Amino acid sequence: MARYLLTRLGQALVIVILVTLITFVILHFLPGGAARAILGKEATLEQIAAFNHDMGYDRPLWEQYALYLQRLVRGDLGYSFQLNQSVAEAITQRLPKTMVLSLASTALAVVIAIPLGVVQAVRRNKWPDYTINALSLLAYATPIFFLGLMMIILFAQVWPLLPPEAPQGFTLGEVLADPAGLVLPTVTLAVLTVAVYSRYVRSSMVDNLNENYVRTARSKGLSEGRVIVGHTLRNGLFPVITLLGMYLPALFSGALVVERLFNYPGMGLLFWQSALKRDYPILLGVTLLISVATVLGALVADVLYAAVDPRVRLKASRS
Amino acid sequence: MSLLRLVDLSTDIALRRGAVHALDHVNLEVRQGETLGVVGESGSGKTMTVLSVMGLLPPGGRVVNGQILFDGRDLLAMAPDELRRVRGVEMGMVFQDPLTSLNPTMRIGAQVAEPLRVHQGVSKAEARERAVEILRRVGMPRPDKIVDDYPHQLSGGMRQRAVIAMALIRSPRLLIADEPTTALDVTTQRQILELIDDLRDEFKMAVILVTHDLGVIASRADRVAVMYAGRVVETATTEELFRAPRHRYTEALMHALPEAAQGREGRLYSIPGLPPDLSQPLTGCRFAPRCRHATDACRATDVPLVRAAEDHLYACLHPVTEAVTFAPRGAGEARPAAASEPILSVRELVKEYDAGGKGRVSAVAGVSFEVKAGETLGIVGESGCGKSTVGRLVAGLEEPTGGQIVLDGTDIGALDRRARRRMHREVQLMFQDSYAAMNPRMRVDGILTEPLEIQQVGDPAGRRSRVTRLLDQVGLPTRALERYPHEFSGGQLQRIGLARSLALEPRLIVADEPVSALDVSIQAQVLNLMRDLQSELGLSYVFISHDLSVVDYMADRIAVMYLGKLVEIGPASQVVRAARHPYTQALIDAVPSPDPGHAPSPATAIRGELPSALNPPTGCRFRTRCPLAQDICRTEPPLEGGLHQVACHFPLREEAAAARP
Ligand SMILES: Nc1ncnc2c1ncn2[C@@H]1O[C@H](COP(=O)(O)OP(=O)(O)O)[C@@H](O)[C@H]1O
Ligand code: SF4
Ligand code: SF4
Ligand SMILES: [Mg+2]
Repeated sequence: MARYLLTRLGQALVIVILVTLITFVILHFLPGGAARAILGKEATLEQIAAFNHDMGYDRPLWEQYALYLQRLVRGDLGYSFQLNQSVAEAITQRLPKTMVLSLASTALAVVIAIPLGVVQAVRRNKWPDYTINALSLLAYATPIFFLGLMMIILFAQVWPLLPPEAPQGFTLGEVLADPAGLVLPTVTLAVLTVAVYSRYVRSSMVDNLNENYVRTARSKGLSEGRVIVGHTLRNGLFPVITLLGMYLPALFSGALVVERLFNYPGMGLLFWQSALKRDYPILLGVTLLISVATVLGALVADVLYAAVDPRVRLKASRS
Repeated sequence: MSLLRLVDLSTDIALRRGAVHALDHVNLEVRQGETLGVVGESGSGKTMTVLSVMGLLPPGGRVVNGQILFDGRDLLAMAPDELRRVRGVEMGMVFQDPLTSLNPTMRIGAQVAEPLRVHQGVSKAEARERAVEILRRVGMPRPDKIVDDYPHQLSGGMRQRAVIAMALIRSPRLLIADEPTTALDVTTQRQILELIDDLRDEFKMAVILVTHDLGVIASRADRVAVMYAGRVVETATTEELFRAPRHRYTEALMHALPEAAQGREGRLYSIPGLPPDLSQPLTGCRFAPRCRHATDACRATDVPLVRAAEDHLYACLHPVTEAVTFAPRGAGEARPAAASEPILSVRELVKEYDAGGKGRVSAVAGVSFEVKAGETLGIVGESGCGKSTVGRLVAGLEEPTGGQIVLDGTDIGALDRRARRRMHREVQLMFQDSYAAMNPRMRVDGILTEPLEIQQVGDPAGRRSRVTRLLDQVGLPTRALERYPHEFSGGQLQRIGLARSLALEPRLIVADEPVSALDVSIQAQVLNLMRDLQSELGLSYVFISHDLSVVDYMADRIAVMYLGKLVEIGPASQVVRAARHPYTQALIDAVPSPDPGHAPSPATAIRGELPSALNPPTGCRFRTRCPLAQDICRTEPPLEGGLHQVACHFPLREEAAAARP
């Protein structure tokens, strides 16, 4: 098990380094440049050259990258001149808020998606299956931006039940003090997730219901409810754990749109604003964090899977 | 009085378009304390019959006519709750595939005791106790540990015992076993069938034993029903059925058995064609298109069941009148080995696998044998004994850990990679499951041309004509070239597999369980074909199988393997009829004989499971299961003898005079 974990961590490290390299190269070749963004339109060519020299932007690309990695190892993510704070600080301020949003929406989505998927599997190719299927396709196909707008129009303007804007608090505590403001962003983000998860649960449950062990369970004279809850549900939900890990990037891109729409000061909004201002240190830092989270998420999901599924558990402890 | 009676039972399975009429007016009965055998080719409706009784038909399945009377009450008219009780308390079912019929994430004990918890409200602690007790009763080793195990920690045989325990824990009055041993080794099969027999007597149950194996029926059933294309075509007591079968289908099934072949040169009778498509309307005798005795009357009229004797019904217009005999095959007339030059010679072959820090798995441990040109060497043994590994090593799919493989006079190990690859054209593999070995998105012509292209044989036109000729050789129409693998039946796929292995004109074919997945009638077709091609092309075969009667029919010489070791090798007739190794004898005795008068002797029965090849027993590897083991067996017995060699300190008999050089 320890050896397995070590290899997986090694792989994760390689992937993260690759992601930073790619981001680094892409950002470098984007038109414009940080100097212009920071010094403003009025800056003279000399000023720009001086700035680039100070920042090391005139050195060869590989040298810049090596320098970046060197700092990274020391835990230094860089400094944003535009925000006038270190990247690490900028991220730690906003990360908890995005996590609250993501966790709440994922929890909501899972709670809704599992029963939906199970109902679809049990009544497959009957009207409940078709109806839910059509709805989830609709949720899939609706752009999240549009969906959020509709939410605002319907539940904040037509029926003013909820605030149209997310809580603006600076700290997590302040944000949590205004739960009503979190409702619309959470629900908007959850809709797409429900669609993805329920389809996953459905197909995994359908596979399991066709297994021979289900017939054995029925042969014992069990009620249909007991067959599903006692036998298939557990097996059917194992793969969903893996999905939790794999779904992180999609979740972040969802958060990006939702945070911008509801003006919620989290990582998504930070990323959005930094992209407009070409704030490279922030963009690099956020990308790095997301890739680390994704790789770790997949790893944690696999380990979790191994911990709950006796088949994998045994194989892992043996090797 | 009968416990279960099926009256005019018809079952349909709805398809997207139309329906399969899986059962057509089936009438059967089972009495208390009796075993009813149900036999027939796959697709004949055996499984649908028992699933109708259990109320476990697949989606779309529905009983459309008739009655299922259990203890006088019609199950079809029962309320769902009551039906569930009957199913869960009075009936028990054992399924064909022990590997998939248990819930993979539920502990064995919980699964076994579940009926008690649900139907009798037994407490958790008591349920566990009862589970241990019943597991012990079905011969599970260390039941108090196994209750807490998960299914994947158990071997196939042990899982089947767990399923049987699950069926028995409710003390059912009817036990249904659908091909309970088809996926298991003969030695395990014997243990399981004996267990079912014992339990039937102990619990006074009625048993329905479904199988496609006439041998299993002959040794275990009191009465037999033969099914064909959704109908019961003959029922009789077992003794009567095997002594005087009446239906031509029953007769054909018996003739197709390898045991029925007369002498080494005799051909097997094979039933031509395939069973009919049950979604189409059918008139007349459903067997008519494949029957040697069919007349116009057979095709035109619906043939009813008529009575031959008190307990013997059949539905055939031109019944069998002559008696069928299972004449023991002439012993001893070993075929003259064609040339004395061996085409393949294997010396001290060793293959070990790394078991990830826990030591090494000894899959093949010092095996030596030769195969002469035009000869068939059979290799038999339980699954896991190393047969297939030997086959893969010989075919060059894996590198041996030690030893020599000499092909046609050349030591393969001494060649460089390219020369070795060229050399391996001489040896081709044929698999049990040809479908799995084919690319499902490739048409048959592509599948057959591929080896020619890889080895760069001929130009496209030449390859095309070679492929057409190959198809002709294996008896398939040229049309087959444009089809995809899924469009073929099991027997046809094995023909395509054979054609592919013949593509490069090899001199030796390693056939790994080539007919194990086929029905007897189709099996006979493939075996005949392999024999014909052998004499036509002068091929040699290494024929690997767990089925002794098939190997006995096909092979000139037989090698018996146990846990990586060769324990006996000699002329086929000698090995089968005058076995010298206790393990060989046990294998032979475990094969159910299609002659009901032939009772297996309990003295040679081996118990338990094949030990792990990880850290195998020292000395004679069979000693942990051998009834004759002594202290000296801790030292390894050498393989000794003339033509009929054995590796045992106490061989069962001396070498027969005929086999001495
Ligand atoms: N799930 C299914 N859907 C459609 N047809 C089926 C299904 N299962 C079995 N059949 C058909 O029902 C008939 C009887 O099959 P079965 O009872 O399984 O035969 P056996 O057990 O004798 O091999 C066959 O024609 C088979 O093709
Ligand atoms: S009824 Fe005719 S076709 Fe059918 S089995 Fe008998 S002889 Fe053959
Ligand atoms: S050597 Fe001994 S243990 Fe091995 S088979 Fe012979 S008698 Fe049995
Ligand atoms: Mg079947």
